[in-house]
Amino acid sequence: MTFEVEVAGRLRRVAIEPVGPADAAGGRFRVAVDDHVLEVDARPTDLGLSLITSDRTVLDAALTGLPRGEWIVEFPHVVIRAAVDARRFRRTDSGDASGGSGLQRLVAPMPGRVVRVLVKRGDEVQARQGLVVVEAMKMENELRAARAGRVTDVAVVEGASVESGRLLVVVE
Amino acid sequence: MKVLIANRGEIAVRIIRACRELGLGTVAVYSDCDRTALHARLADEAWHLGPSPASESYLRIDRIVDVARRAGATLVHPGYGFLAENEDFAAACAAAGLTFVGPSAGAIARMGSKTAARQAAAAAGVPVVPGAVESYPEHAPEAAIAAEADRIGYPLVVKAVAGGGGKGMRTVTESAGLSSAIRAARSEAKTAFGDAAIYLERRLVKPRHVEIQLLADQHGTVLPFVERECSIQRRHQKVVEESPSPVLPAGTRQAMAACAARIAREVGYANAGTIEFLLDADGQFFFLEMNTRLQVEHPVTEMVTGVDLVQWQLRIARGERLTVTPEQALTPRGHAIECRIYAEDPDRGFMPSPGLVRALATPGGPGIRDDRGVAEGFEIPVFYDSMIAKLVAWGATRAEAVARLARALNEYRVVGVQTTVPFFQWVVRQPAFRDAEFDTTYLDRVLADRNGRPFVEPGDDDERHAAIAAALGTWFRARRAAALSPAADGGAWRRAARIDGVRS
Repeated sequence: MTFEVEVAGRLRRVAIEPVGPADAAGGRFRVAVDDHVLEVDARPTDLGLSLITSDRTVLDAALTGLPRGEWIVEFPHVVIRAAVDARRFRRTDSGDASGGSGLQRLVAPMPGRVVRVLVKRGDEVQARQGLVVVEAMKMENELRAARAGRVTDVAVVEGASVESGRLLVVVE
Repeated sequence: MKVLIANRGEIAVRIIRACRELGLGTVAVYSDCDRTALHARLADEAWHLGPSPASESYLRIDRIVDVARRAGATLVHPGYGFLAENEDFAAACAAAGLTFVGPSAGAIARMGSKTAARQAAAAAGVPVVPGAVESYPEHAPEAAIAAEADRIGYPLVVKAVAGGGGKGMRTVTESAGLSSAIRAARSEAKTAFGDAAIYLERRLVKPRHVEIQLLADQHGTVLPFVERECSIQRRHQKVVEESPSPVLPAGTRQAMAACAARIAREVGYANAGTIEFLLDADGQFFFLEMNTRLQVEHPVTEMVTGVDLVQWQLRIARGERLTVTPEQALTPRGHAIECRIYAEDPDRGFMPSPGLVRALATPGGPGIRDDRGVAEGFEIPVFYDSMIAKLVAWGATRAEAVARLARALNEYRVVGVQTTVPFFQWVVRQPAFRDAEFDTTYLDRVLADRNGRPFVEPGDDDERHAAIAAALGTWFRARRAAALSPAADGGAWRRAARIDGVRS
């Protein structure tokens, strides 16, 4: 099985082939990534996967699977985000408020309460300008525009409780 | 004898542990979202308080006092935060015949006002940070404040009279910035404390934050402890604390401890409290404020003195005499450092990261203490402070404590939410931290310079390993899904559901 895994903006092809019996309880795999080929013994754990590579390196990975093939991979000394076969999930929506041009849809990054709406429909905003302040866990978090543009929709009012992922403001 | 713990999270767990060790019964209170919180699972009894917002649960004096009465508790421990420094709560407990584990309502009120506290310190002959004698209520004319500011000199700090936790504070470097700083401090103070009164204080150059823990019994004994240093602060909030201070000369420790004890006697203080000082670059120290409660960072003092401060709070409240000797309290054994672990994403500007703790691995081994308020399977709520644990490392020397802390941080794994562990992994590697060359402005300065760069930057090997782990994670997930719901079974379930649908 071959996966396309994106880490830190770089796409890697990871080919996985079980060596001998392998099931949900674990197994040995021949792994080819870039020009590296190695064997990995992989067993599920309470945190994610325990990996021992052919040179006996221990990789204790805590894994959080997110929607759209995204993973948070935590090794003891470092946390890394990875996206598996993300192209399958990438549709035409330019939902992300990062980079490029076009629509910016600012969504609540965590559940909380809208304490201030700093813009109104029709406002011209600069890159990094504050749009909405959401309070969560006793802290006020100012959410900013990624790029300059014009506010075409303000989808919340001050005082509203919002769930994570809720649309707040659209900037075009 | 039962103790009601009027708090949640790690401090409620800490207090339950002290009660158990003293053979006291424990009564927890919880809000809607805290039904399965650790403190509500560990206590002997748990009583529902109300909806999740703190204003409808952990801040409801009437409900908490009512629960204490119905549960037959005789002592009420407020922890820190919530109602811990609320004189009305202390008074309400007293009125209901309950023993408040803390100072009197009068002492809380007096030391809760920053300006009254400064006066008390001055009356005890303790140097205070140079600043305004008076405070300025909400509509005080700005011209008068500006004149006083010119007298004190810049840079200065505009502070809320009712302040705490870094709220309602603004540093001003020149007169042009005074007006907006006053407005900002007032507005924040009004929201946080319901009181827009402010005062002015000189901004010391590169000050270090050093504080003295006290215990005072009801028989006139006041016992100061070896100092803690809490100069590693982010936006006026302590994030790393240690004891002893790596820089305080023994003579200054004695003088500072004596000053702290004088202030406590001046206000007739009983129970645990902390006097905070600023230490300037010349080694002079000035009274900053008093916290009339147990501090978040109390474990570092416990680690270097072997004294259980929470047990003593309870024993003092029951009328016992202090038997800890001044030598034991003032002589540190080794060195201890604490990190406050928050459910925040350090790589996204410390944005709160509430959510489900899917899995948890916590450090152990020599010299490590993990004071934690969450367990695996708990949904960290959005309603309260985001601190989930305090990791404390002890070593015979500071270098050993730092090495243990670094080792333990690598063992600390919280899956499901982001935490500040990677940030602390970065902190312990900084030469300025290792050499203890810092002041209260250090962290904000270096964070500003980093400009949002990730705290732990993966190498090429790490990225390749992560790609392998994610790919294998995907492989195992697919295999598990197949094992749980083979196609045939899926069909059977669907058929059963269809039949059920027809019947109902």
